[in-house]
Amino acid sequence: MKKRLIGTAGILLLAGCNMTSGDQPDQELSELSWDEITAEAEGDTVRLYMWGGDEGINRYIDEYAAPALQEEYDVTLERIPLDTNEIIQKLETEKRAGQDDGTIDIIWMNGENFKRAKEGELLYGPITDQLPAFEEFYDTESLDFAYDFGTETEGYEAPWGKVQFVFHYDSSKIEEPPSTLEELSSWIQENPGRFTYPAADDFTGNAFLRHILYGTASSVDTLLEEPFSEEFAAQEASGMWGYLNEIESDLWRGGETYPGTLEELDRLYSQGEVWMTMGYNEARAESLVADGIFPETTKAFVLEDPGSIGNTHFLSIPYNSPSKEAALTAINFFLTPEAQLAKLDPQYWGENTPINPSKLQGEDQAAFEELDRGGTVLSQEELLESFVPEVDAAYVPWLEDAWINEVVSD
Amino acid sequence: MKWYQTNKPAVLLIPALLFLLMIVYSLVMAFAESIRSPEGWTWQYYADLFRQSQLIESLGYSLLITVVSVFFSVLIGWGVVRWFSSFIDEPAGKWLVWIPMLFPHFVWGYFILLLLGQSGLVSSFLYQAGWLSSREAFPVFTQDPYGIGIIITYLWKEIPFVILMLLPAYLQLPKQYGEVISVLGGGRKEWFKTVEWPWVQPVIVEITLILTAFIFTAYEVPALLGISYPQMTAVLAYEWFYGAAWEERSYAFGLLCIIAFILGAIALLSFTLMNRRRWLLSKSSHQY
Repeated sequence: MKKRLIGTAGILLLAGCNMTSGDQPDQELSELSWDEITAEAEGDTVRLYMWGGDEGINRYIDEYAAPALQEEYDVTLERIPLDTNEIIQKLETEKRAGQDDGTIDIIWMNGENFKRAKEGELLYGPITDQLPAFEEFYDTESLDFAYDFGTETEGYEAPWGKVQFVFHYDSSKIEEPPSTLEELSSWIQENPGRFTYPAADDFTGNAFLRHILYGTASSVDTLLEEPFSEEFAAQEASGMWGYLNEIESDLWRGGETYPGTLEELDRLYSQGEVWMTMGYNEARAESLVADGIFPETTKAFVLEDPGSIGNTHFLSIPYNSPSKEAALTAINFFLTPEAQLAKLDPQYWGENTPINPSKLQGEDQAAFEELDRGGTVLSQEELLESFVPEVDAAYVPWLEDAWINEVVSD
Repeated sequence: MKWYQTNKPAVLLIPALLFLLMIVYSLVMAFAESIRSPEGWTWQYYADLFRQSQLIESLGYSLLITVVSVFFSVLIGWGVVRWFSSFIDEPAGKWLVWIPMLFPHFVWGYFILLLLGQSGLVSSFLYQAGWLSSREAFPVFTQDPYGIGIIITYLWKEIPFVILMLLPAYLQLPKQYGEVISVLGGGRKEWFKTVEWPWVQPVIVEITLILTAFIFTAYEVPALLGISYPQMTAVLAYEWFYGAAWEERSYAFGLLCIIAFILGAIALLSFTLMNRRRWLLSKSSHQY
């Protein structure tokens, strides 16, 4: 009995030590120099929670980033695939349960998830002013990084990548892809059953709806400037519901059902049931074509009117990350030109970089310019010409609900 | 040691009690989540729930699929056992019934998708053989508005389950009563009414309860083979739970509490009825 008591006391004591030593660096983290942070990070493990639905992205993390990080900083990177809103919920639950020692070190997110995380005080930071790579290679004053779907970032997330929404089509079946919403609508009418889009609770499906909203609202500028309210949204969206209901009967399965996820739409496209797919990454078809999932004749297009929505996505550290030093080290690594260049390589991810090219030096700059992004990726000029920014994050959940009521349920 | 000897039954029950405690705890917590809003306790979520046509249609759709699947599973499974019980008792027959039981529901659902989808194996075969003008001419069996794909999956999986549950009852039927009935001049009808039905009825009620509870709250098969609207309740609850809007999480908890309540009530009711039956049986002096 005595022994057990001593044992328990010992454990309690140890736990106490652990608490204080765990808390201490937190408060001082902002005062540490970068070298001290990387020294602290050595030997630590970082758990990166991120959406795991793209093979190319996963390979980039597992085959490129994790080994490189291990070699350069002795930091082990673990990728944990989970839908982003589930990650935020997990964090919310941890916060409510008072768990100060969490399991998540880095989250990949943006938009409504960031808004929810920031409003729920789930994030550690600000972090961007501590990242040397961000200070050196990025346009720190850029509005692209200061706002995320209308939410001020305030340094709580570091820009990781930049993507634009594109459509992919099979050029052996479609000669001339549509370039405006009207052309898309008439194309759908001429080719019944060959087009559909993912349901509104899917990330990509929701982004598709926002394009329709841009094209049918009174003007894109009013939509961007006016703060979100349900009345305003409902008033601006009436044209969108009209458009969607009009095309519905000529969609795949006559619009009786919609693919639940982008993966399902991709499956339909790869089986030739539909002739177009879409996605919030202008280069994502490269690896799918290379793997033989998409036909080799796959090409991309954007709608010139209303344009193609683009955004920046970010990396954040949760308030209760057990190894914040290692998380900072990893994020900084992801922001370096070498990691960004590897990300641009179509062999893995092929995604665009938020780096400011004018801040790069000789060799780095040349490497970025020379890289061939592949045949399914539109030229930089074409992408830039059609670029439009994101609306307020509050539109995302609103569209999810309204879409069910206005389009699917009747 | 002595204490253990006298309290053995209680000790053995501890795991079951702990398990029960966990269930009760999670039910209470789920209920608490469904009546808690940022402003305090509220019944608002329940009031909202019943105003949503999405929920009403979802309940109706789930109920329809459940009733059809359970009814045909029990009917077909029962028929097979009645007429083929001696064959199923043999190794070959046992294997035939066992094989579908080995696959998880999700695998079976995916199999149905690959087999019966419009670009699936059957439609491709028919198209290539020249019997179909195009693959789209194949009727829609999966992700269809009537839940045909879901029902087929469940029939395929649950009929073997019904067979395996009913088989022991049929193998142990007191055959000597048949002789009594024929001596007294009774036919097949009397045999069914006085021996077979009372004998298997409790098992059938039990199977029906298990299947109803299982199918009504199933997620994976409807998520894979269902359509965007209406959705089965579990799929709807999942989407509310993981949706971007915060208050929808409370709807999910509310919906799950309603389902738990409905199923609990049905189970309680049928168990009470069954127990009365069992009690009556035990009062009679028959010994099988």
